[in-house]
Amino acid sequence: MTATGGNGARILVIDDEPQIVKLLRVTLQAHHFEVHEAANGGTGIYQASIVHPDLIVLDLGLPDMSGMEVLQRVREWSRVPIIVLTAKEREDDKIAALDSGADDYVTKPFGMGELLARIRVALRHVASSTNEPILQFGGLKLDLAQRLVELDGNRVKLTPTEYDLLKVLASNAGKVITQRQLLQQVWGGHHHESDSHYLRIYIGHLRKKLEEDPTRPKFIETEPGIGYRFLLQD
Amino acid sequence: MDAARGKGRGAHAALPWAWLPYVSVTVVVVLLTVLLHAVGLGYDRVNIVLLYLFPVLFSAVYWGIGPSFYTAAISVLAFDFFFVPPFFSFSVDDLRYLFSFFVYLAVAALTATLAARLKLQLRYARQREAHTASLYTLSRQMTAISDLQTLLSNVCRQVSATLDAAQVVIYLPRGSGNGSGSGDGSGTGEQELQLAATSSVSGDEAVFGSGESEMVIAKWVFRHGEMAGRGSGTLREYSGLYVPLRTEERIYGVLAVQTANGNEAAVFTQENKRLLEAFGGLTATAIARVKLGEEAKLAHLTAESERLRTALLDSVSHELRTPLATIIGSATGLIEGEPIFSSADRLELLATIRDGALRMNRLVTNLLGMVKLESGMLRLRMSFCDVEDMLGVVLAQVKNYQQHRRIRIQLPSHPSYFAGDEVLLEQVLVNVLSNAIKYSPDGSEIVIAVQEDTASQQVIITVADEGLGIPKGEEERIFEKFYRASSASHVTGTGLGLAICKGIVEAHGGTITAEQPAAASGNGNGNGNGKGAVIRIALPIGNREAIDRMTAEEERRSEDV
Repeated sequence: MTATGGNGARILVIDDEPQIVKLLRVTLQAHHFEVHEAANGGTGIYQASIVHPDLIVLDLGLPDMSGMEVLQRVREWSRVPIIVLTAKEREDDKIAALDSGADDYVTKPFGMGELLARIRVALRHVASSTNEPILQFGGLKLDLAQRLVELDGNRVKLTPTEYDLLKVLASNAGKVITQRQLLQQVWGGHHHESDSHYLRIYIGHLRKKLEEDPTRPKFIETEPGIGYRFLLQD
Repeated sequence: MDAARGKGRGAHAALPWAWLPYVSVTVVVVLLTVLLHAVGLGYDRVNIVLLYLFPVLFSAVYWGIGPSFYTAAISVLAFDFFFVPPFFSFSVDDLRYLFSFFVYLAVAALTATLAARLKLQLRYARQREAHTASLYTLSRQMTAISDLQTLLSNVCRQVSATLDAAQVVIYLPRGSGNGSGSGDGSGTGEQELQLAATSSVSGDEAVFGSGESEMVIAKWVFRHGEMAGRGSGTLREYSGLYVPLRTEERIYGVLAVQTANGNEAAVFTQENKRLLEAFGGLTATAIARVKLGEEAKLAHLTAESERLRTALLDSVSHELRTPLATIIGSATGLIEGEPIFSSADRLELLATIRDGALRMNRLVTNLLGMVKLESGMLRLRMSFCDVEDMLGVVLAQVKNYQQHRRIRIQLPSHPSYFAGDEVLLEQVLVNVLSNAIKYSPDGSEIVIAVQEDTASQQVIITVADEGLGIPKGEEERIFEKFYRASSASHVTGTGLGLAICKGIVEAHGGTITAEQPAAASGNGNGNGNGKGAVIRIALPIGNREAIDRMTAEEERRSEDV
């Protein structure tokens, strides 16, 4: 994994902490990314329009304006993937950022491997936005055209809701999906915040059918307090 | 007779009904005279004189000295007029009768004086008894009350009731009412007073005690520690009496009494002033007691926080310095000695840096968690929790450092859902499980068991390890902040993790306890040898019906496809 380069993809880092910026610059450049920097929100927004980055790493705590504001302003005109950096124990901030269009988040302090994985997933989703009819993750195969799910060659029977849930998660594989996003995409507009218990029960059902050991999930990982992430199979 | 009556009336003209005893006595003497005359005891003069003593004694006992002297006088006159020859004349035949009159009057005067004094003493005794009773009531109330405000209003009410005074107020130095303990004001004189309590019912017109002049007198009394106002030696032209609340060493405030219009003379008697002084002393003692109690509490808190601060400093400085030392050492070594390290050495140093930093990160997380709990900033985000889901997250988090310990999970046959804050409860489970890993040998087994207790409506999660165990008697203490079990001194740690767990679990209305493992559980394999610890977490299920309904509904829905 570590050997995979960035192939010159352009990353804009918006962060006011020189130490973090330095760390990201050195590491990302070593992985063959082209790194641009902005130390505050205003410059960040300006740079985003000038540099046309392939991806933005955005710190939510900025000196001049909130990271949320930068996020919303960039989202007004750009679909560029945005990964937010947040402090720990700020679940509300993370959810708000993800629901306002951030693609993923990394909690400080973070491991470099984790950040690189998030960056790669985000870049890949931009590249492969064409609808592939068959998704394959290790032993799990989803045939989107025929609504078929197979695990190690055996057909898995899913209810329509379970199937929809799996489809949303799997087609965003590697990316975190908030509870609200899942409710919206699976149940449609008519859902309520307190309906998250349905989600939990369906995830439980799905894991029973797909996972060998539901307490050590290989496919559907829980992001505590935020949502779920479909794991990419190595 | 008329003259005597008139004189009696004149002397007590101010008091209504003061003439009543004189009239009554006159009537009695007249009746007695008529009776004696009719019965014809006219010649047994000794008995007659003795009978005439009755009204005297009677009036002495009931009306006091004035009426009894009056009775004696008219009795002598009646005796002389009707029974001493020559009859129906004030003149006396035998001059020895004059001596008899004199003896009679002397006896009458003496008995009257004695009886009247006795009566007065009785009245004083009764009054004293009433005062003592009210002082006793007050002192008893005071020992039971530890809240200053209640205490003061009680004093006001009691004084008001005892003295029949219209209004009673208490002044205290500003800032002392809220228990800040700043009332260090004896003698400084610059301290501002404020109205701390009053007996008057709200809605009174112009509450006594809040006026400028009243405040000035109160301040004077507070400064000088002497009584002032009506009926005292100073500032007697003002209405109301001001009594300092003083103990031997300090003046705590001022008690002011205002009477209803006009009856100041009746209220501010010498006796009542003494009583007020006693009230003042009692109140001052009570205030002192409450203050001392507050100061003691504060001192205890200070000592406790001092102890915690020391523990925090010791623990944090050690726990921060150790990883910092490894980080700084490894990093400087790498920078300065670049060429001499083999790539394996370099990897090892880098891993040391990472582990040190991770350890510091855990410490900071725990410290922040503790601060959050202690400052009351902890807000539960209740949601619908699935134990299985939570365990998945927890296992993923400890995966990197469980090494070869086997973690076995026992779940009930049907899913366990309950209401809770999943992020915080996962933190609890991670802390407990990390402890189990930290204090047990590599290769041993850790069992996480989940049960639903339908009787108590709780989900019970136990984490059992085969490690060091908890010394007997320390099962509760290990949940205290900065407390480390005596058996764990060789393992690094802050003593914060379990304290945070306890805080979080209790915020959920649950309990977390440590238990000794059941003796029979020694299964022979591994290094168990019957040791180990069990941490038991019991969490209320919450709205059971709603959860059951949702579960049933969902199961039904998923069936019908």
